[in-house]
Amino acid sequence: MDHFDLFRFFRFWLGWVVAVYASIVTAQSLWQTWQSLTGRDRYMTMLRQYLLVHGLRLRFRAFWGDVLICVLLGVAFVLLVHAQTMMDRIEEAMPAQSVPQ
Amino acid sequence: MPFEPAIMANDESKTEMKMLPEPAEAEIARENAAAMASAVGVGRAGSHVLGQPGAARIVPSAPPPTPAVERAAPAHAPMRQLQDLPRDELDHLAAEYGLDPAEHATRQALVAALHGRRQLIASMDRLAMLDVVKWARRPVPVNASKEQLAIEIVRIKTMRFDRLSQAGLFALARLRSLSVGGDETVPELVKMLRKQEGFFKRINRKRRAWIGSVVSGMLGEEERPGEYTFLPGQDAPAEETAPRSASIKEEIEEQGLFGGLASRVKKTADQYLNQKLDEIEARIDRKLDEIDRRLAEWRDKEVANRLRILKITLWASVIVAIVGLIYSYLKINRLF
Repeated sequence: MDHFDLFRFFRFWLGWVVAVYASIVTAQSLWQTWQSLTGRDRYMTMLRQYLLVHGLRLRFRAFWGDVLICVLLGVAFVLLVHAQTMMDRIEEAMPAQSVPQ
Repeated sequence: MPFEPAIMANDESKTEMKMLPEPAEAEIARENAAAMASAVGVGRAGSHVLGQPGAARIVPSAPPPTPAVERAAPAHAPMRQLQDLPRDELDHLAAEYGLDPAEHATRQALVAALHGRRQLIASMDRLAMLDVVKWARRPVPVNASKEQLAIEIVRIKTMRFDRLSQAGLFALARLRSLSVGGDETVPELVKMLRKQEGFFKRINRKRRAWIGSVVSGMLGEEERPGEYTFLPGQDAPAEETAPRSASIKEEIEEQGLFGGLASRVKKTADQYLNQKLDEIEARIDRKLDEIDRRLAEWRDKEVANRLRILKITLWASVIVAIVGLIYSYLKINRLF
């Protein structure tokens, strides 16, 4: 039990649970949307075209600030994960050097 | 789209006319009519055998099938369709084409008369028919077929022939089953048409005209007819080109007191309905615009909300990653 780290345990399982939950909810939502929009009747075709038109009328300039923040946060998160990986390697190497002392 | 009863009536007549042979088959149908005439003879002979002995002197016996009948075989399909119609529908068709069904005792005779009338219409001058329609101010589209024009002309009952051209009078006379040669002058044609009306009908018409003038005077209608305009096509707005209706006096003269008044009430009700339908259409358009605007607002809010949720999630992930990094740094440097 010397190597057990409560923080890492919490982070590992939090990441897994949140990732699985978000994946299931997203897939379920996408599937329901797909099912409801693939109808062949006249009204569903009209609704598809209406949604397409609304999507094309969406203005990027209204949300570009939030989108930019999200992109930057994503890049920061990737860099932090990379730094954490390097830190883990350093931590793995440290006890081997400290044993002879 | 505004309500247009006249166009609907034309559509109905179109549907009914589908049962008749196409004008392009005129040549074959001419032969067919000749064959039909012999067929009528056969029919009359047959009816004599069944119960009309007096008709025996007209056609002594049924002739054998002639080569003309055999040549006309390809054109028999539409004729057979017409013959398959029930008698009441044939009567209705005949009345629409200006024929008196009572004058044709047998089905064969009526079918032959219908074919003959259709040949007559196909041979008529379309411009002359348009002259008649303009003169009588009948509601027809400018691209109406000869059959449609003929049906409208047959409905014209007026005997006021002022300002109608010689060609128009000739077309009107032919559709009223007068035997004219085409070289008659306008007064001659008018005289023939008036002579065809008969004494009692003329008296009745005069009486109706007098009642119409009295009613028109009571109502105070002084409206003068404007320039005739054709009914719009499928794409044109109806209210721009709708023809002006006849005066109440003319309507009463043609249809009688109650018929004229009922026609006027119906037209007024139609106009009221058209106006109300336009208002309803405008309200629906406004509502649809409002729904579209609200949907666009909802879409923008929804996208902004999703982006905010994504941003919060990313912030939380970055903060947890920073905390994890600091924790690893502290642990490596054995600060706790």
